Amino acid sequence: MSLPYSSPYIHNASSVRRTMLQVQIAAFPALLAHIYFFGFGITIQWALAVVAWLVVETLLLKLRHRPVKPFISDMSGLITVTGIVFCIPPESPWWVVVSAVIFALVFGKHLYGGLGYNPFNPAMLGYAFVLISFPAEVTQWTLPAGISGHHLSLWESAQIIFTGQFPPGLVHLTGATPLNELQTALVNGASAAETWAGSRFNDPNLINGWFWVNVAFLIGGIWMLYSRAIRWQYPVGFLSALALMAALFHAIDPDTYAPVSFHLFSGGVMLAAFFIITDPVSSSTTPMGRLFYAIGIGVLVYVIRNWGSFPDGIAFAVLLMNLFVPLLDQYTQPRVMGHKGR
Amino acid sequence: MSHLVEHKPLKHRFIEWLGRFYPMAKRLLYHFHGGVFPKYHKSLSNRYPLVEDFIPELLTLPLQQHLGVATEPLVSVGDRVLKYQRIADTDKGLSAPIHAPTSGTVIAIEPRILPHPSGLPGLCILLEPDGRDEAQALTLPETPTSPQSLKTLVHEAGIVGLGGAGFPTFAKIPDQRGCIDHLIINGAECEPFITCDDQLMKQRPEAIWRGAELVAQALGIPRVLCGIEDNKTEAIKTMTQAADGLPAAAQTHTDFQVRPVATVYPMGGQEQLTQELIDLEIPSDKHAIEVGVLMMNVATLAAIADAADEGKPLISRYVTVSGMGLNAPFNAHALLGTSFKALAEKADPKTPLTYPLIKGGPMMGISMHSNEVPVIKTTNCVLANPPEDVEPAMPCIRCGECMDACPIQLLPQQLYWHSRSHEYDKVKDLKVFDCIECGCCSFVCPSHIPLVQYYRHAKSEIVRIEKEEEAAELAKQRHEFRLARLEKAEKAKKARLKAKKDAVKKQAAQTTRQSGDASAAAAKAAAAAKKAAAAKSPQTDQTTDSSAPKTAREKAIEAAKARAQKAAKKADDSPTDNPAAPEDRAQVKPADKRKAAMEAAQKRAQAQKNASADSASDKAARPAATETESKRDKRQAAMAAAQKAARKRQQSSDNASENTDQSSRVDSKIPAASPKDKRQAAMAAAKKRALKAQQKAQAQKDTQAPSPDTED
Amino acid sequence: MIEALLVFLVLALFFGMLLGYAKIKFKVEGNPVADQIDSILPQTQCGQCGFPGCRPYAEALAEGNSEVNLCVPGGHEVMIQISEITHREPKEMDASNPPPEEPMVAVIDEDICIGCVHCIKACPVDAIVGTTKMMHTVIEKECTGCELCVPVCPVDCIDMVPLMKTPQTWHWPEPNANSLENRS
Ligand code: SF4
Ligand code: SF4
Repeated sequence: MSLPYSSPYIHNASSVRRTMLQVQIAAFPALLAHIYFFGFGITIQWALAVVAWLVVETLLLKLRHRPVKPFISDMSGLITVTGIVFCIPPESPWWVVVSAVIFALVFGKHLYGGLGYNPFNPAMLGYAFVLISFPAEVTQWTLPAGISGHHLSLWESAQIIFTGQFPPGLVHLTGATPLNELQTALVNGASAAETWAGSRFNDPNLINGWFWVNVAFLIGGIWMLYSRAIRWQYPVGFLSALALMAALFHAIDPDTYAPVSFHLFSGGVMLAAFFIITDPVSSSTTPMGRLFYAIGIGVLVYVIRNWGSFPDGIAFAVLLMNLFVPLLDQYTQPRVMGHKGR
Repeated sequence: MSHLVEHKPLKHRFIEWLGRFYPMAKRLLYHFHGGVFPKYHKSLSNRYPLVEDFIPELLTLPLQQHLGVATEPLVSVGDRVLKYQRIADTDKGLSAPIHAPTSGTVIAIEPRILPHPSGLPGLCILLEPDGRDEAQALTLPETPTSPQSLKTLVHEAGIVGLGGAGFPTFAKIPDQRGCIDHLIINGAECEPFITCDDQLMKQRPEAIWRGAELVAQALGIPRVLCGIEDNKTEAIKTMTQAADGLPAAAQTHTDFQVRPVATVYPMGGQEQLTQELIDLEIPSDKHAIEVGVLMMNVATLAAIADAADEGKPLISRYVTVSGMGLNAPFNAHALLGTSFKALAEKADPKTPLTYPLIKGGPMMGISMHSNEVPVIKTTNCVLANPPEDVEPAMPCIRCGECMDACPIQLLPQQLYWHSRSHEYDKVKDLKVFDCIECGCCSFVCPSHIPLVQYYRHAKSEIVRIEKEEEAAELAKQRHEFRLARLEKAEKAKKARLKAKKDAVKKQAAQTTRQSGDASAAAAKAAAAAKKAAAAKSPQTDQTTDSSAPKTAREKAIEAAKARAQKAAKKADDSPTDNPAAPEDRAQVKPADKRKAAMEAAQKRAQAQKNASADSASDKAARPAATETESKRDKRQAAMAAAQKAARKRQQSSDNASENTDQSSRVDSKIPAASPKDKRQAAMAAAKKRALKAQQKAQAQKDTQAPSPDTED
Repeated sequence: MIEALLVFLVLALFFGMLLGYAKIKFKVEGNPVADQIDSILPQTQCGQCGFPGCRPYAEALAEGNSEVNLCVPGGHEVMIQISEITHREPKEMDASNPPPEEPMVAVIDEDICIGCVHCIKACPVDAIVGTTKMMHTVIEKECTGCELCVPVCPVDCIDMVPLMKTPQTWHWPEPNANSLENRS
């Protein structure tokens, strides 16, 4: 109970925890959509990740002689694990998510000094780690119930996650995502339009799970924009850059390049636009810097998707742009009032 | 003017409506960047009537209530002073005099804790009011018509900027008419809780306008704009009405306007209000008046009006007493020097005032180290907010909220980062000195970092470092100067010694070579008259020459000279005499001087003298040793020749006249002895040394030899 | 093969020229190391390093014939800076002779002063005024706090006192309360 040493003596009552919880709440629609389309696997993954987060973070804070309670209760770790959970396939083995979380927290966060000091987005670092280490596990997605014809129960999901054994008769539950298919097609020299036309995902009677999860993320994101948990520069810069790239190349060669709508609503685009790249710690702080940062990610994502060897390049795009943050911060400083130029 | 409030452009109203759902939309309502919307709590103190005529038991009047230099007391302990009496002033620089707020006795002039963030004590005049409130007769000053007269008036009345910093107002007023285009009246009062300016605008709008009119007239200002935040509807109304009531004459020259502005913190900042009202950014390296803007607080203008129309100096001001810890907050017309505690106690505190009161508003105020500190000219609010739990500061998450809130568009996050790692040059590059310490960044920071304090610390640290560097530079220069000075002194000393030795050597050389001419030339200035009298004997000239410097010696030599003259008269001419005599004289002179110098150096440390003398003579002796012989030979030969000549002369003189003087006889008997005699006389005068001539001559021969050598 | 060799030859030539140009263009005048060190020394001129003033110490350091930890008033900070400039191992300061906590100035007790001019001769920055048989006084603004005048006074009338703190010379303290981050 004491006054702050100096003014201001009042505060707008915001806090790190509040901001992080807002982000967490905004992820709920997407979580529900995810459960609806892909089953309860994600809740198991989420629970696993949270436990891993609590254990690892407590341990690390103890090791670093930092107070545990304030740094756990700031909820920044929760956002990291949520980001990871949405990225990895819901039915991937349990050790995938656990190692991703451990890697993210140890190498992405605490080795750099904890909250506020990490140059790289920890969630993306963790995800990139498992993506490179266990590509097979991480690229096999549970297919939407509409395609596989089976809605996994919680028990079945748990069985798959912990034992790796599919329930008898359900071997074709997982497969490549639309993005994967496209990537494969592109690598093989097939045209995007044809692939898409012949794809099993392109069935008007079917509900494309990825599309709707993305829409749910969009809704949560808009709410975050409103509550000022995130800045408009991230989604606007990222989505418009991605859309522009897609439109440009689609216009040049509609056969090879997928349309804008496909790019915007597939993979983890909306997740990235509102939940991943908006991580303030590892992004630029100036308004212009943020815009450039987001645009850079958008462009890189498109490039990796079309010409890279990974189906979705968000993780790498984000990590690459993280490297540019100091530069962006340096050269996008706004003009100070009363000064000419920068 | 109330139509202004009601009939805002559609866009404006739409944004206001939007602001209800999305508060940040309100940032579109004004022109400057950032800004925050704190809870204002203004109704707390606005609902109670103004408290007037409150005379506390003790008034504490700090000698410095303004920026600049402190004043000096004009009263002494025990004096009875009257209301309005000037009790402190100084002419040592930027300052403003202080007047007694009421009648009473000066009970002490001693250091008291000041209303300053440091909590350090400063000299205060303690005035015990007698309750009679007897006033000194006021003299009505002339209505100021020129900048100079306005300055005098404002200075005499002790008026400083009543809005915050307390910059003496007279110093703010430009020297010429017509260089100010806009007088901006600052009625924004953007800080939460504070309503004293609001009250003033509601109660004394005429005084504010009158002050504005005076300033506008004196400075020839064409436009006066009064910016009032649009949450003070009543004040806008009263001020607008009062503006219409201004004399028509004033209105023809000047355009008086009330301008409602958006309610946002920090609208009341000088840069912000200027930008809002006339869309002008004050360049950071210029003062507002350099771009034609003069800004005055409403309270300052009212004080100017009082000073001009009634002759009242500044002795009281409107103060808001408010805060969450008070049951009955109010606005007071408080005497300067009233203690914070006395005011807060009057407002019925909810809990005992054991926590520090805050001077000023919650955004920019400073908490006091003692609640007994007085209201001074710059105190606009006494805030009693009981402490709440402060959230611990978390690490910065680079969220950028602070940057979005900064009205100057600085990068508070980067400033913080560099301040924290003490990279002050970077902090300076990030323009920390443009920070107005408004507190917006700390207000919004989700990590609860005391950002502003970092900047305050960084600023004072940069100033300190610069001062230290300056001091180090000064010390360096002074040290180098000292070294140069010592070296110069050393050189000068050496040069003097050398010059002396040179002279000695030269003379010695001259005497050995061509004695007559040289010595005559050397003597000409010293004794021109005597030379004429003794034209026939060059010897005497030379003796007077050598005797010139010392008076004691002179006398002795005078006597000797007289004898010599007589001798010379007798011995008419003896050219062979010359070589011997000057040489002898030359030997005498340095010997004497050295003795004298030694005498003078008696107080000097013996050891030091010994050491230096030894080493000097040693050094000199060794290289000179070989040559000494030949020189001595020469000299001996010369002396022998001289003696021969003298003997001849003696014989001749004996022959010439029988009645020779005793003295002249002695002289002429042994010509070489005559200088010896002189020398003895000189020596007697100069400290009566009882050394024999021969001994000296020998010593001289030894010591003289080196001097020509050292020169070579 | 030959092309590659040629390319590398041209590249090597180009960079060699670039380096040569840079050397001419960005030439540094004077003895930069001594100047640099001199500029970070506190210029107290106290001689506690054993050199007659700061500049000689800086020069000795630049030539490498002195220890980096001799500047007492500069303390640890200056020592670190010196070792950075001279690329030498930092050495701990002599703990028995710590720098003063706060800036000090010499003050002459004017009642005792006999006007012996000893202190004037000792002062490295001529901050003492006075003349023989007259009372002396220290110009506070110019005193570096070197303490050289203290021992030479035959009547012990010189004291080192901390500079008076006033609201004008007061500095905002650095915030550290409440912070969860104790920087290591
Ligand atoms: S205190 Fe300074 S940095 Fe912070 S918002 Fe105000 S002007 Fe900007
Ligand atoms: S508001 Fe606080 S946490 Fe956010 S960037 Fe600024 S200093 Fe960092």
